Amino acid sequence: MGLKKKITSNVESINAESINVKNLEEQRKHSRDYDGLLNLLHEGDPSERRWAARDLAEFPQAIDSLCQRLTQEGDLIVREAIFDSLLQISQANDASARNIILELIPLLRSEDTPLRNGVIEVLQNLPNSVAPHMEKLLQDKDSDVRIFAIDILRELAHPDTPAWLLDVINRETHINVLANAVDRLAEVGTEDMVSELQKIKIRFPREPYLSFAVDTAIRRIEGI
Amino acid sequence: MKRVLIVDDASTVRMYHRDILEKIGFAVEEAENGIEALEKSLLTPFDLFLVDVNMPKMDGYRFLEEVRQRTELQHIPAIMISTEEQELDKEKAYLAGANFYQVKPADPIALQHYVELLAGGSNP
Amino acid sequence: MIPPAVGDSMQNQAAQRKIGDQELQIADSEFERFRDFFYRKTGIYFEDSKRYFVDKRIIQRIQETDHHSFRSYFTYMRFQASGEELQVLINLMTVNETYFFRESYQFDCLVGPVLDEVCKNKRAGEPIRIWSMPSSTGEEPYSIALYLLERWAGINDVDIELMASDIDSRVLRCCRDAIYSPRSVKNLPADILKKYFLLLPNGDYQLCRDLRDSVEFSQVNLVDSNDTRAFRNIDVIFCRNLLIYFDDASRRMAAEVFYDALNPGGFIFLGHSESMSRITSLFNVRKFNDAITYQKPF
Repeated sequence: MGLKKKITSNVESINAESINVKNLEEQRKHSRDYDGLLNLLHEGDPSERRWAARDLAEFPQAIDSLCQRLTQEGDLIVREAIFDSLLQISQANDASARNIILELIPLLRSEDTPLRNGVIEVLQNLPNSVAPHMEKLLQDKDSDVRIFAIDILRELAHPDTPAWLLDVINRETHINVLANAVDRLAEVGTEDMVSELQKIKIRFPREPYLSFAVDTAIRRIEGI
Repeated sequence: MKRVLIVDDASTVRMYHRDILEKIGFAVEEAENGIEALEKSLLTPFDLFLVDVNMPKMDGYRFLEEVRQRTELQHIPAIMISTEEQELDKEKAYLAGANFYQVKPADPIALQHYVELLAGGSNP
Repeated sequence: MIPPAVGDSMQNQAAQRKIGDQELQIADSEFERFRDFFYRKTGIYFEDSKRYFVDKRIIQRIQETDHHSFRSYFTYMRFQASGEELQVLINLMTVNETYFFRESYQFDCLVGPVLDEVCKNKRAGEPIRIWSMPSSTGEEPYSIALYLLERWAGINDVDIELMASDIDSRVLRCCRDAIYSPRSVKNLPADILKKYFLLLPNGDYQLCRDLRDSVEFSQVNLVDSNDTRAFRNIDVIFCRNLLIYFDDASRRMAAEVFYDALNPGGFIFLGHSESMSRITSLFNVRKFNDAITYQKPF
C-alpha cells in the first residue's frame, strides 16, 4: 500500500494498462462514424450523448443536428458539450461560423433560460460572424431579444460595439433595454455620447437606476 | 452587521443596489453569476440574496435551486430581481426558491423595505 | 510640439514618448473601468489597496503596445478578437511563483474530507489516482506526495497513483532531478525537510529517490486530445494557476478534458484566485473547510 509508481513511464503504456480505458473504447464503439454519432446524439444515454456531441466537433456538417439537439436536450452536461463543439466547429471556417449563427439566433427567443444564456455565450465568441446580425437584433420587436442582444455586446470583441450602443440609446424607449445599454457604456462609452447620455436623464426624470447608470457611464467616459 | 450577496452580471446594477443597501446599514458582497455566488455563499455567511435571472454559466433560477438543496444555505431568504415581467416568470422564481420577486428597475424604497423584512433588519 | 526633423526623427519621437509617458497616470474612473473589466473576465477583483500594483502594470503595457493613453489602450484590448493583450495582462497581474506547500489549505483539504469521500466510493483494492497538471518544476506533485505520506491517515490502506504532467519538457527534467532552492522549500516544516531532502553542497535541496520515484511524469498538452486520451478514472486533479492563462475557448476545452478524465464524484482544485465561474458549469461547487473544490457529478 502507499504511493505506488507505475512500472512504465510513457503515456501509451498507461493507456494499455488501464482496464477502464478499454471500457471506454467499448462505450465509443459507434465512434468516429458520422451516422453512428448522430444516432448516439439522439438515442444514447447521457454519457453517450455527450461523447457523440464531443466527437461531432470534427464534422461541420453536424451543425444542424447539434443545434436541433440543443432544443431537445435536457441534460446540462450534453448541452455544454454541444456548445463547446459548436465553438470548435466555428473556428474551422467562416462559413461554419455563419451557419452556426443562423441556427442559434432564433434560440434567443426561447423560454429556456440556460439554453438562451449558452447561446449568448457562443455568439459572444464570434464577433465577425455576429456583426451583420447585430443591428437587426437590437431593433427586434421583442424587448427581451433586444436585451439579450445587448448582453451579447458585453463580451463581443467588435469595434462597432460603441456605435451600436449609441444607436440604442438614441432610439430606445423601453427602460430595461436602455438601462442595459447604459451599463455597457460604462465600459465602452466614448466622449461623443455624453450629451446623448445626459438627455436620457431628461427623457426619464423619475428613473433613479437609469440616472445612476448614466452618471456612472459619464464619469467613466470622462475619465475623472 | 447583516450581509447581503448581490448576484448580477451587470456591474452598474450591482453598484446601484450596493448603494441602496449600504445606506440602510447592510454589508454587501457581489457575484457575477450563480457559480461565483455559490462559492462566496459557502465561504461567508449571508443573511439575504439579491438575485438576477440572466447570467452566464449559472442563471438565477439554478442558483436558487442549488441554494435550496444545500443544508448550509437553504434557510437564507432570496429576492429575485429581473427584467422578466410575466406572471410565469414570477412563478418560476418562487418555484426555484425565491421568497420575493421584483421587476427591474426595482424601486429603491420598496427594495429597502423588502430586504429589511426578509433579512430581519440590518442589525443582528 | 515641434514636429521631428527628418534626420533625427527617431530620436525626437523617443524623446516625445518619454515626455508624454512621464505624465501618464491612471485616473480613478479609469482604474474602476479596468477593475470591472478584469473582474468580469477573471473573477479577480482588485481592492483599492492594489492601486499602485495595478496602475504600474497598466502603464507598462500602454507603453509596450505603443499607446499613449489609457483610453486608447483599453479600447485596443477590449476589442481585440484574439484576446492576446488580455492574456499578457493576466500574466502581469498574477504571481506565478511556485514553491512547496503553496496554498497548503488545499492539501489539508485533500488529505482530510476529499480523500475520505473518494475512499467511500472506491471498491476494495482500487487505487486512488491523483493528477497534478501542470507539474511545473515539481513542487506541487511532490507536495502532494509529502502530504500523503505525512498527513494522510489512509496511506497504509490504499494504493495511490500520483501522476504529474506539463507541456514543457524542460520543467519535466527539473521534476525528475528534483533539486530545489532554499526559497522553494521555505514553507516545509524542518522535520519534513530533514526526512525527505538531501542538502547539497551548494545549498540546494534534492528530494530523496523514493519520492522522486513515486510520481509518474509525462509531457502533455492539455488541448491535444492525443495527449489527454490516456488520462482516465482520475479521482483528484490539481490544476492550479494554469487555466487563468488560457483563452476562453481553450479553458472550456480543458474543462471538458478534465471532465473526461475524472471518475464520477472526482474532484478538481483550481488555483486560489481561479474559479469555474469564469469557465464552465460542468462541475458542482463543493466546499470543505476553507477550500472550494469542484466535483464531477455522479
